[in-house]
Amino acid sequence: MTVYLKQLTLLLTLGLLTSTATLAQEVTTIKFDQLQELRQSPHDTLYVVNFWATWCKPCIKEMPYFEAAHTKYKDQPVRVILVSMDAVQDMEKRVLPFVQKRKLQSRLYLLDEPDGNTWIDRIEPKWSGAIPATMFFNNKRGQYEFIEREISEKELHELINKYKP
Amino acid sequence: MKNTRIPFLYMACLLLVGVLMAAIPAADNTGYQVGDTARDFKLKNVDGKMVSMADYKDAKGFIVTFTCNTCPYSVAYEDRLIELHNKYAPQGYPIIAINPNDVKVSPKDSYKDMQVRAKEKNFPFPYVYDETQEITKAYGATRTPHLYVVQKQKDGSFKVAYIGTIDDNSREPEKVQKKYAEAALDELVAGKAVSQPTTKAIGCTIKWREA
Repeated sequence: MTVYLKQLTLLLTLGLLTSTATLAQEVTTIKFDQLQELRQSPHDTLYVVNFWATWCKPCIKEMPYFEAAHTKYKDQPVRVILVSMDAVQDMEKRVLPFVQKRKLQSRLYLLDEPDGNTWIDRIEPKWSGAIPATMFFNNKRGQYEFIEREISEKELHELINKYKP
Repeated sequence: MKNTRIPFLYMACLLLVGVLMAAIPAADNTGYQVGDTARDFKLKNVDGKMVSMADYKDAKGFIVTFTCNTCPYSVAYEDRLIELHNKYAPQGYPIIAINPNDVKVSPKDSYKDMQVRAKEKNFPFPYVYDETQEITKAYGATRTPHLYVVQKQKDGSFKVAYIGTIDDNSREPEKVQKKYAEAALDELVAGKAVSQPTTKAIGCTIKWREA
């Protein structure tokens, strides 16, 4: 029963996310458990999860590459997800205006976990906490790669082509 | 002819490997871990004088803090760094703040801008520039702010006792519940082992010099 409920919640969440994604420019606030759930997503899909913030210059520099990848691989099992590290208090004043100005189309989350020390090691022990950082994973195929630095457009496409089902 | 060319090629390969290795920014596995001996440095402070840990005869250790002008997390922690220094310098652990960022990649982190910021905030501690990024790489700092608390040993060397963040809430100082750095410093001052010697936080990536 609990398993069934969990799956139903997951389906509902995914459904909700898919429908909001098409409207664009919505940012869903999540807690660590939801990030963990995403990381453990069982689908045969390549997830490209980029950690960024409005105040992070190198993140903003590489953001167009992720946006372009989102558009390019839209009809393939590739999901580009941008997870903002901005504080939840900055949602209205900083994050949403940024998202609207840039007309971001990728799926957008804001991780509301101010104490990095409680969760960074749990999602990736190799991560020191610097952003930008990006994860590539397909759990169905046991694929995983983590990059803690700015990424080039070429590198992003090479990695997507390497892993996409 | 052949005999002279082979060593040359060999040297060229070595050189290339060296250049390639130098181009790779310090990652998590390089640099110091807790328990390692930290090297001293000689870096230029905002007042024009060179600063080394060896200059402080009475210090029991240092809070070596990689920070900068431009990172909002660093800026958010400026006042708390001043408080940390004012609390622990009298107990033997002053702060030495090091700006690790390359000026070409991050122009507002120039030596001149450091001088301006140090004056505006009236930093009670040195704010030195690691222009070559050699010290930043040796320590293995990856983000700002990034703290290394080192403890002076009997032989005058410096042992890394804590690596990590200041507390659990960069954005809202009034909501801080866990003062990670202070907890570590209190234990060191009391002569105890540090119970949580490494912590992590989100921070701005260090702006490495582009090859």
